[in-house]
Amino acid sequence: MASLVRHARGFRSLSKSFNASVARDVASRATGVALYRFHSTINCQKRPKSASLFSESQNNASLGVRFYSHDPLSMTTIRDRVLLVLKLYDKVDPEKLTLESHFMNDLGLDSLDQVEVVMAMEDEFGFEIPDRDAEKLMRPADIVQYIADKEDVTQ
Amino acid sequence: MAARSQVLSLYKQILRESEKFPSYNIKTYALRRTKDAFRANKSVKDAQTISSFMKKGNEDLNLIKRQVSSLLMYVSTEWLLFSRPI
Repeated sequence: MASLVRHARGFRSLSKSFNASVARDVASRATGVALYRFHSTINCQKRPKSASLFSESQNNASLGVRFYSHDPLSMTTIRDRVLLVLKLYDKVDPEKLTLESHFMNDLGLDSLDQVEVVMAMEDEFGFEIPDRDAEKLMRPADIVQYIADKEDVTQ
Repeated sequence: MAARSQVLSLYKQILRESEKFPSYNIKTYALRRTKDAFRANKSVKDAQTISSFMKKGNEDLNLIKRQVSSLLMYVSTEWLLFSRPI
């Protein structure tokens, strides 16, 4: 929740009338899924390090956290996030899910589900996966490897 | 004869476009309708039927695009919740 509020502060600099306490109020009422999506989308955006944003954050000295930074990706975080997205997808059985399980043979998804999974990955990691590459992504491990290649993560 | 990849690409395009609807009701309806329709006809083998469905799907995609762009012109930026005194 703390990180959500921190992200919500980012909006404040965009709109002067936005009240942070309202953001907290709204955020606490949001459903779990909406909350998760809200957080993951915001988290993916690489925020510009513009001077105006910086000076705005200086006004709130009590919370000295740079809201525009995001955690650098590592193989472990990519793996965790890919598996989390898959676990939250309603047609995947979390019990059967491993890095090496095949979407169609092991998890029983069809090609339409696979498209939805790839779309969820695009939302999670904030970049578009072309159809030509998407059709080759058949295991969680493939997705992890693909994202690591695109984001230049090696370890 | 529409290839499998074309069908999947159309599916993705319609879903992505439907996500842009500003209204929650219309957005969820469009997403659900798309998913249901593609699933209902996923075992269709006849080439003629597939190409007629593809034609219909492309027309619907264009319709969604037009609707989204016209609805986005009149979207309200102010939330009722925020205008309330706290």
